[in-house]
Amino acid sequence: MRAALVIARKDLRQRLRDRSAIVIGVVAPLLIAGVMSAAFRGTASFHFTLGVVDADHGSVAAGLIRALDEPDLRTIITLKRLPSDSAARTDVRTGSVAAALVIPSGFSTSVAGAAPKALAVVTSVNNSAAGGVARAVVESFTAQINADRLSVMTAVQSASPLDLGELSRLAQGLAIPLRTLQRPVGARELTAISYYSPAMAIFFLLFTIGFTSRSFFVDRAQGMVERMRAAPIRPFEILVGKALSVLVYGVASLATVGVITSAAFGARWGDPLAASVLGLAMVLAVVCLTALVISAARTQRQAEGVAAILTFGLALLGGNFVSLSSSPPLMRTLSLFTPNGWALRGYTDLATVGGGLSSVAGPILAILAFAAVTGTVAASLARRAVS
Amino acid sequence: MRVLAITRASLTRVARDRTSLFFLLVLPVVVIVIIGATVRGFSTFTVGVESTGTDAAGRALVSALERSPGLKVVPFATTPALTTALARGEVAAGVVVPAHLAAAERSGRPVVVTVYAERVNSVQQAAATAVASVIVGRGALVQAARFASDHSPAGYDAALATARGLDAVLPRVAVRTVRADTVSSTLPEGFSYSAPTELVLFVFLSALAGGATIVETRRLGLYERMLAGPVRARHVVLGEGLTYLVIALVQSVLIVTIGSVAFGVSWGDPLAAGALVVVWSLVGVGAGLLAGTVFRTPEQATSIGPTVGIAFAMLGGCMWPLSIVSTAMRDVGHVTPHAWAVDAWTILLSRHGTIASIAGQLGVLLAFAAALLALSTWRLARRLH
Repeated sequence: MRAALVIARKDLRQRLRDRSAIVIGVVAPLLIAGVMSAAFRGTASFHFTLGVVDADHGSVAAGLIRALDEPDLRTIITLKRLPSDSAARTDVRTGSVAAALVIPSGFSTSVAGAAPKALAVVTSVNNSAAGGVARAVVESFTAQINADRLSVMTAVQSASPLDLGELSRLAQGLAIPLRTLQRPVGARELTAISYYSPAMAIFFLLFTIGFTSRSFFVDRAQGMVERMRAAPIRPFEILVGKALSVLVYGVASLATVGVITSAAFGARWGDPLAASVLGLAMVLAVVCLTALVISAARTQRQAEGVAAILTFGLALLGGNFVSLSSSPPLMRTLSLFTPNGWALRGYTDLATVGGGLSSVAGPILAILAFAAVTGTVAASLARRAVS
Repeated sequence: MRVLAITRASLTRVARDRTSLFFLLVLPVVVIVIIGATVRGFSTFTVGVESTGTDAAGRALVSALERSPGLKVVPFATTPALTTALARGEVAAGVVVPAHLAAAERSGRPVVVTVYAERVNSVQQAAATAVASVIVGRGALVQAARFASDHSPAGYDAALATARGLDAVLPRVAVRTVRADTVSSTLPEGFSYSAPTELVLFVFLSALAGGATIVETRRLGLYERMLAGPVRARHVVLGEGLTYLVIALVQSVLIVTIGSVAFGVSWGDPLAAGALVVVWSLVGVGAGLLAGTVFRTPEQATSIGPTVGIAFAMLGGCMWPLSIVSTAMRDVGHVTPHAWAVDAWTILLSRHGTIASIAGQLGVLLAFAAALLALSTWRLARRLH
């Protein structure tokens, strides 16, 4: 096995002398993760300013404004009083408030009558989510008023012996019987940086397949393989040497990106042991994929082409570019045919639900199964590649 | 003629390289499909609903959630599957509809519908608020039916039918939505987002990665061999520039055609769109030629090129709309030509702009192209002399 170690050391030294290895293994994932972190800083939360125009000054309007200012809503809404309807439109158009509520003059008194006045939510086409939430909150409040009006009229229509005034008085104490109970699932929010740090580290790790295959074929073209075979070195040891260099480089790259993104950008990789074993499994899968490309390709050009297509194909399917969480279900299913898709599912679970090694046992086993299949095929083709 | 001969030779090399063809022609289309299917939902919340074994009242509640314009409902078979999806961020809130909702509503006791969402997660809190609004709306009918059956001779079912009938005609406290503006500052969602942004991304990325070919040509001594003939350095520079321009234009035309034919993307005013494609191709040519002179090895070109290309694309709004990032990041994004190109596409696709509307963006892009072309031509010519 000493020969394998020598080959691995030579490959690693050669790779580190070309700065592109450092760029791909460390600089590139850190740069991209840094851009992601900067882009999404402060945008991961959903909070907006809602303008309020109270032209009514009545009791129902006051109740509505109190409801908008409840502690539960303060995490998503900050209220800002505005003087008029036109000011609300201008502020929404310019973006100084995300949406605005306009309570018309005479609203409170109209609510008890036959033709209640409408509330208006002023929204922008560029911030429809805030407009939608503002509307939902206001509708939650008006739902009780409308339910009370409907209750009274239903009783009247159902030939109630009580008069309208009595029914209206009784309806004031009603509460809509269908309510929601909000429960947490105990999971942390999946931040962009926590998803894209492992996603980018793994994406650039996949580039190793191309680099190592190219180095193998360059060695072969320069007669290195023949010279090694003239020495007492078995073909198997040559492949092990190449694989070892990928393993060391991959582990070093993932570990560096993991430590730096955790410390500098606050990325959550989860339990260190679980994250490390998951990363190691992913590196093993890359080693086996590299061995497969080297064994299957006949020329350097062919190896480079297959490796490049494999790298981008796996990254696209596995969710390294677009978050699997926001992808359609079909994409999430397809990602489970790739080792990187499983790895990202594991890192997502570690960042959100947490847990130890056992919580990512499924992804680790799936990645190892992928590695075993590709490794077995590579081994059966290996003799042809080095002979 | 010498320039065209060099261009023809370079294009033949590219056309015979199946890997290059994959990256130039196949990959952009695949990415458009994936991003187009993914970049949706900036204006809606995806809500998971578990309603297995529920009754007619439960189904009515689910359809009320489905009708709500701000929500996209995804069904789940079990509660654990729903909470796992919520933990992974695949849905913004999870609703568990009670199995016997009709009986529970009739019982006279308060009916509770469980909504899974973290209060500290503001996206989930907002989604839960939107869900609560729909559920409370449904509860109005139940309240009216109970109240009427308590204070009239009618039974619950009869009162519920009366309430349902009245609900459709009774004047209510309505909430109107008033649009303050109609001009969108982002590209439309779906393929109309992914096709123009991927055009911007791939033309630039392919050109940068293509710098590897120039590095390889330099290493093989092909330029020296060309210059040994009756060929001047400017012929080589022009020939290589023309090669990149043809590749960028072919790639752009492919993306535009597939975008409009297969995905129904409307690219806006043809003259303006054409001008933008040509100017952006020139930016790509400048970037590709520069990469070919800056990088020393093909490995550097194929490693640093895509990294820079992807980082610029992210900063410039090709991966997500710049309207969702901070003002500072938006300003940083406009240091890249990508942000100006995406701005121009936004004006064409979302605001039906003309060539006059994007004159400012085209001017900035032309300046980028001129600077990149001048720098790269100077560097390449200097290397050849």
